[in-house]
Amino acid sequence: MATPKKKITATKPSSPTQQRLWLMYPPKLIKKPFIYEVGHKFKVVTNIRQATVTDEIGIVCLELDGAHGEVAKAIKWLEKQGVNVEPVEIGIVAG
Amino acid sequence: MSEKHHGFMKTLKCRECAREYPLEATHVCEFDFGPLEVAYDYERIKKSLTREIIQSRPKTMWRYRELLPIAGEPTVGPLVGFTPLVKANRLAKALGIRELWVKNDAVNYPTLSFKDRVVSVALSRAKELGFETVACASTGNLANSVAANAASAGLKSYVFIPSDLEQGKILNSLIYGANVICIKGHYDEVNRLCAEIAGKFGWAFVNVNMRPYYAEGSKSMAYEIAEQLGWRLPQHTIVPMASGSLLTKIHKGYQEFVKLGLVANSETHIHGAQATGCSPISVAQKAGLDFFKPVKPDTIAKSLAIGTPADGFYALKVMRETNAAADDVTDDEIRDAIKLLAETEGIFAETAGGVTVGVAKKLIASGKIPRDSSAVICVTGNGLKTLDAVQGHVGKPREIKPSLREFEALLAHEEKVNA
Repeated sequence: MATPKKKITATKPSSPTQQRLWLMYPPKLIKKPFIYEVGHKFKVVTNIRQATVTDEIGIVCLELDGAHGEVAKAIKWLEKQGVNVEPVEIGIVAG
Repeated sequence: MSEKHHGFMKTLKCRECAREYPLEATHVCEFDFGPLEVAYDYERIKKSLTREIIQSRPKTMWRYRELLPIAGEPTVGPLVGFTPLVKANRLAKALGIRELWVKNDAVNYPTLSFKDRVVSVALSRAKELGFETVACASTGNLANSVAANAASAGLKSYVFIPSDLEQGKILNSLIYGANVICIKGHYDEVNRLCAEIAGKFGWAFVNVNMRPYYAEGSKSMAYEIAEQLGWRLPQHTIVPMASGSLLTKIHKGYQEFVKLGLVANSETHIHGAQATGCSPISVAQKAGLDFFKPVKPDTIAKSLAIGTPADGFYALKVMRETNAAADDVTDDEIRDAIKLLAETEGIFAETAGGVTVGVAKKLIASGKIPRDSSAVICVTGNGLKTLDAVQGHVGKPREIKPSLREFEALLAHEEKVNA
């Protein structure tokens, strides 16, 4: 069963966090070792859970573990490189 | 837990690897992060669900309740569904097809869109799981439906919206007493924040941790179409695609009716419709790809503006399996189609309805839907919600003084112009 009456607490910026993400690489970036780089540039643990690479697109399902601020910075950096980053749920904001 | 406790549900199952999970508020597989889906005990359902039993029940979507993911009786939205299936003879003539039907969820109860189906299922299940607070992130119909259905069920609700949303759409949720939170930032940032909020707080987030239950509500549209057609599957169904979920669930609904022997297994094609300004699925389908490329939406069809569709992959699969097509229409074509539907059938649809009618027109014209066939167009929302999209495109009223002579002069002038 779920834990419906969980106490509501605010997120501290430095609290540990785990984010489950889909990374989508356009063709020109498919060969780039971004996951290696993100693990070295930021204090995050990267954990690949599935991946598909074709001529047209690279799709990686990635778990990122680390302090909240570090994970946020890692995501920003990936986006800056041109990678589309979505939560694993994809498209939460519906019509 | 006992069989009785879960009703006719068996388990949650990963769509990728088929691993099973308990029937809780959870939505992705812990191994491959694939989406979870409700699996049912069809043998038991077959014994207790017949055409006669369905027909003896009230005309709501809950007449198919064995096939919906709740353990007990519905507690939220008991009057949702069973919207009209309109035989659209005048529209059929305009589009050049033998037989055409419009499934009109523009008059769904209580918030005039098909979202009432998914939300009433999600909230009924949320109550069964003990939640007292429900939430969603939305730019329109979903927000309205969560706010209204939560209000009527006495649940506390949080509705997250992008901060640039029009005032009218915000009012449509505020009126129900929902906690409406505007988030400043890009769409992607709003999306990720909502994923974090859903993970952090113990709420029923309808399209996150409640998604396996929520999405199943869409199947009721398929059941109703099949029953209202006289217990048969349509040859063609045209469905609007945002995430692609509705299209996959229409297919699942038809397949379940076949599996239960409620309809014959006839050939049925399920076609997808998108707006050109946000068409990742239709572009992929037309190119013969089995994956889509994310896009940045730019269309008046805001309720379909999802650039990274969660069920895009599965929608493409259904269209391949049912030998169906997809297409997309421009903003002008959407407006023209909204007017065409209104002028021929007296149905005022929101922009998504314009997309579906517009794409139906294209598919019929190109022969992908043959002219001698029968088709159902799914209209999912009410035009009163997207008045801004047609503002300035439907003409103006003519003004006269309170004088019979002036009115007669106006009529004479118009007759002359139209002659």
